[in-house]
Amino acid sequence: MKLLKPTWVNHNGKPIFSVDIHPDGTKFATGGQGQDSGKVVIWNMSPVLQEDDEKDENIPKMLCQMDNHLACVNCVRWSNSGMYLASGGDDKLIMVWKRATYIGPSTVFGSSGKLANVEQWRCVSILRSHSGDVMDVAWSPHDAWLASCSVDNTVVIWNAVKFPEILATLRGHSGLVKGLTWDPVGKYIASQADDRSLKVWRTLDWQLETSITKPFDECGGTTHVLRLSWSPDGHYLVSAHAMNNSGPTAQIIEREGWKTNMDFVGHRKAVTVVKFNPKIFKKKQKNGSSAKPSCPYCCCAVGSKDRSLSVWLTCLKRPLVVIHELFDKSIMDISWTLNGLGILVCSMDGSVAFLDFSQDELGDPLSEEEKSRIHQSTYGKSLAIMTEAQLSTAVIENPEMLKYQRRQQQQQLDQKSASSRETSSAASVAGVVNGESLEDIRKNLLKKQVETRTADGRRRITPLCIAQLDTGDFSTAFFNSIPLSGSLAGTMLSSHSNPQLLPLDSSTPNSFGASKPSTEPVATTGARPAGDTVSKDSVNATSTPAASSPSVLTTPSKIEPMKAFDSRFTERSKATPGAPALTSVTPTAMERLKEQNLVKELRPRDLLESSSDSDEKVPVTKPSSLSKRKLELEVETVEKKKKGRPRKDSRLMPVSLSVQSPAALTAEKDAVCLSVPAPALKLPMPGPQRAFTLQVSSDPSMYIEVENEVTAVGGVKLSRLKCNREGKEWETVLTSRILTAAGSCDVVCVACEKRMLSVFSACGRRLLPPILLPSPISTLHCTGSYVMALTAAATLSVWDVHRQVVVVKEESLHSILAGSDMTVSQILLTQHGIPVMNLSDGKAYCFNPSLSTCSGRQAARLFSVPHVVQQETTLAYLENQVAAALTLQSSHEYRHWLLLYARYLVNEGFEYRLREICKDLLGPVHYSTGSQWESTVVGLRKRELLKELLPVIGQNLRFQRLFTECQEQLDILRDK
Amino acid sequence: MAKVSVLNVAVLENPSPFHSPFRFEISFECNEALADDLEWKIIYVGSAESEEFDQILDSVLVGPVPAGRHMFIFQADAPNPSLIPETDAVGVTVVLITCTYHGQEFIRVGYYVNNEYPNPELRENPPLKPDFSQLQRNILASNPRVTRFHINWDNMDRLEAIENQDPTLGCGLPFSCAPIKGLGLPGCIPGLLPENSMDCI
Repeated sequence: MKLLKPTWVNHNGKPIFSVDIHPDGTKFATGGQGQDSGKVVIWNMSPVLQEDDEKDENIPKMLCQMDNHLACVNCVRWSNSGMYLASGGDDKLIMVWKRATYIGPSTVFGSSGKLANVEQWRCVSILRSHSGDVMDVAWSPHDAWLASCSVDNTVVIWNAVKFPEILATLRGHSGLVKGLTWDPVGKYIASQADDRSLKVWRTLDWQLETSITKPFDECGGTTHVLRLSWSPDGHYLVSAHAMNNSGPTAQIIEREGWKTNMDFVGHRKAVTVVKFNPKIFKKKQKNGSSAKPSCPYCCCAVGSKDRSLSVWLTCLKRPLVVIHELFDKSIMDISWTLNGLGILVCSMDGSVAFLDFSQDELGDPLSEEEKSRIHQSTYGKSLAIMTEAQLSTAVIENPEMLKYQRRQQQQQLDQKSASSRETSSAASVAGVVNGESLEDIRKNLLKKQVETRTADGRRRITPLCIAQLDTGDFSTAFFNSIPLSGSLAGTMLSSHSNPQLLPLDSSTPNSFGASKPSTEPVATTGARPAGDTVSKDSVNATSTPAASSPSVLTTPSKIEPMKAFDSRFTERSKATPGAPALTSVTPTAMERLKEQNLVKELRPRDLLESSSDSDEKVPVTKPSSLSKRKLELEVETVEKKKKGRPRKDSRLMPVSLSVQSPAALTAEKDAVCLSVPAPALKLPMPGPQRAFTLQVSSDPSMYIEVENEVTAVGGVKLSRLKCNREGKEWETVLTSRILTAAGSCDVVCVACEKRMLSVFSACGRRLLPPILLPSPISTLHCTGSYVMALTAAATLSVWDVHRQVVVVKEESLHSILAGSDMTVSQILLTQHGIPVMNLSDGKAYCFNPSLSTCSGRQAARLFSVPHVVQQETTLAYLENQVAAALTLQSSHEYRHWLLLYARYLVNEGFEYRLREICKDLLGPVHYSTGSQWESTVVGLRKRELLKELLPVIGQNLRFQRLFTECQEQLDILRDK
Repeated sequence: MAKVSVLNVAVLENPSPFHSPFRFEISFECNEALADDLEWKIIYVGSAESEEFDQILDSVLVGPVPAGRHMFIFQADAPNPSLIPETDAVGVTVVLITCTYHGQEFIRVGYYVNNEYPNPELRENPPLKPDFSQLQRNILASNPRVTRFHINWDNMDRLEAIENQDPTLGCGLPFSCAPIKGLGLPGCIPGLLPENSMDCI
């Protein structure tokens, strides 16, 4: 055993209350007291493990520190997946942290500057429920639940997949609850409190299973924490502070009947923390000794107020090792490494100790598979987790496989070096917003800054959003609930170059845009540079900047901090002079809201004539119905519009619609033009407007202008349709008011008030006789030579203009629009003329013309259920995606989802399905006429796909035979 | 937890003549969209002796603030020299940038400012009555003093709810550990508690 006290792990002398090692063993977190707040620090593990790394100045020791807790942090715990870190403190809060991957290193503003945060951990959830200090937190074995306990005498179970939902509040303790532990198979959770009891709760109904009091009768409530622990085999629960014959002990409680016959004795003061080694061990087989199978045993570390640490093996009567005087003050927390050979111990004295054991001392750890076999045999449940530890013992049977593994290792190395290079440039990567570097933005910030005056004449600056909060990596995206509306449209039609700016989940508060049409301009796009401002009345706001002074200055005289000023830095200013901020702020916000509503209510018919030509600048004029006063105060903002992406702000008066956002067309309901009985209508219809323009594409530049009721000839009012394509114009007249228009590079179509649909070629030739729609138009859409019309009665038609055939004929959507207020929120047409709909409930459907049916795309959700169900759900989801991609005939998507699906099968070890896929992709090696096998799928060669799959399959050694089989057969085929 | 954290304050055009406007580029991060605007202020401390000589150079509202990282430039006119005591015109003083939400100050960034004559002659023999047109202002930009205060970020109803909380809950606090932590925090409402200074010099 080796013992090390890394002195650099400290909170500047302040107590460290908790320590936890990350499941991947590369870092660990400490929690405790900070300068004047609670403090969580994430440290690099390698300098603890290796002396060379400790000395290497290029290897960071501290990775990140978070001062967000208002008061002392009592507990830090990594989730089993390692993705999250939960911390609980005296501020009654639990914070859940997640690493933000897109932001480079940074420092805390105002801190001494040297301590850069190498990693960025961002608080993703704050859990508020406890009315007293949070003493301990614990993730359930499958990360579905997070438990927290507090001095408010309760234990709260949080839904870890849906923070901050509370699943249960366990009441029953009559004293401060100071420790928690989950049963490794997830059936129970145990808590220990100052009320001299240890309670075991069932996770099935969150009710009390048992309350154990006898061993704690003599206990006084003087320990700061009571961190108990459950053995990895689930058989024993070991309490913190218990008493036996007036001596402090750690009580062993058997799962069978909750018997309390044994205890760990020897500490001179109360036991504060008990922590089981995550591994189960068996005796080391010595050469020559009899191979008598010994019983597996567990290993447990016990820390006490007496400043000593003892490590026990359940197969021995005496402790394996006892270390006295390890610290100056009480031990507060212990954490084992996942391999079970090292422990970190922290103390109230603010230091941390690391103990390193060898396998000779502890024994041979059982593999995860053996461990789950024990669980399965005992409890009928298996955790079924494949780990690398198990794989490392597998024999590689094939030289190809070995080569592949080598290649992979090399790749990993390359990646590592690449990623280290990346981190150094991460800051600059993060600093690029929409192709504009942060530097450029800064240069022009003052000019671009939008400044207005509020009603009471105060300056108001709209800050420039330089980045959205990111908390995430997208590889895990499918585990989260994704209403497909955003992502589907994103993957299908537009290629966003900045993935971090693409809102993935429209329901999360930090993604704005897409789903909210009337948010403030800057908010809608997040990172778009704010528009230029022409300020009418705030002259002084943009007063001419002073010329930068000539630097004739000799070195500035040394500035001595002056006592007199000190208080000024720290004291809060007294009253806010002038109008109290509160009264001046609130009304403006209210007005803003009102104004938005007002704008929303405005009918597009009131709009002024369009002045937008293909589109750079759109003047924003205030609707006249707004109050005069506002009108005067409001500045006129000239906004730069992005090509092809008009802003969905209802204040942009000349309605400029785009092909990408048909939703805007359906925004307004209008009762005026109803010519069909209302009850049958389910979907909103566009109202008639005097004029509007529609940009079809920016490259080649093509736009449509519509002017309704231009002239009257013999009592018939004519409407004009004008189309401009790269400067070439054509126009035509129609006898009815045009409600909506759509176009692609091949066709232009318009729907009129009289339910008439007219289709023209790009040169203005009428391609089809007018089509009479069964009910008024709701949405019209064109892609390539396909025209799609969705009527207000929810019937859908698609025509192929080129071939002059109907692809989808008046199919009713009533079957998918079941439910009272469900509507189609977005509808798109793919390149192959397949309609894709997003419904208001977040589901997306596509219509398969050949089968004439709708197939749904299921939105994946992570259930708070055991691993198995989660697996099934993920599988079902992935399979759905693959099938949907097939239906959509999107080869690109099909390939993507197939690979993802295969990767999941490989990771989770689903051999049969994987084999089936391979078989199908491979097809018959020897040609036979009776074979039904198609060599391609959605235009992709199946065998090519299989070649792509092979490396994925090779990642799991368990599938090496499958890998070899496929490889060999592919080789045979190639040689033919 | 504070919804808004200041990431950086860059002092622009420094040093500069006394009469030129102050200009700070402030970047901050907000982790939840704010219902109301932030109010930023620049306060120039005229004299170390008394707050009487403090001048609020300007105050602006900043909003709307959605979640994310934002930046803006806060520009304010130079202080009115007539309000500065003659004896304090030359030498070291302080400029403060504060931000409040719902009238509660949650951050205060202080900079030492040195006003001096760049001209060596004037420096040797400063005029009796300070000549502001000759003075140069130098903000010690590398050394901001940042103080953060805990405030209530939620709406006012919530605040009252906290205040009206059952006081008996306070009894559940571990008195045994209060001295250990030495914070004197137990029982207080964190949302209202003024935090100590975060002195980083």
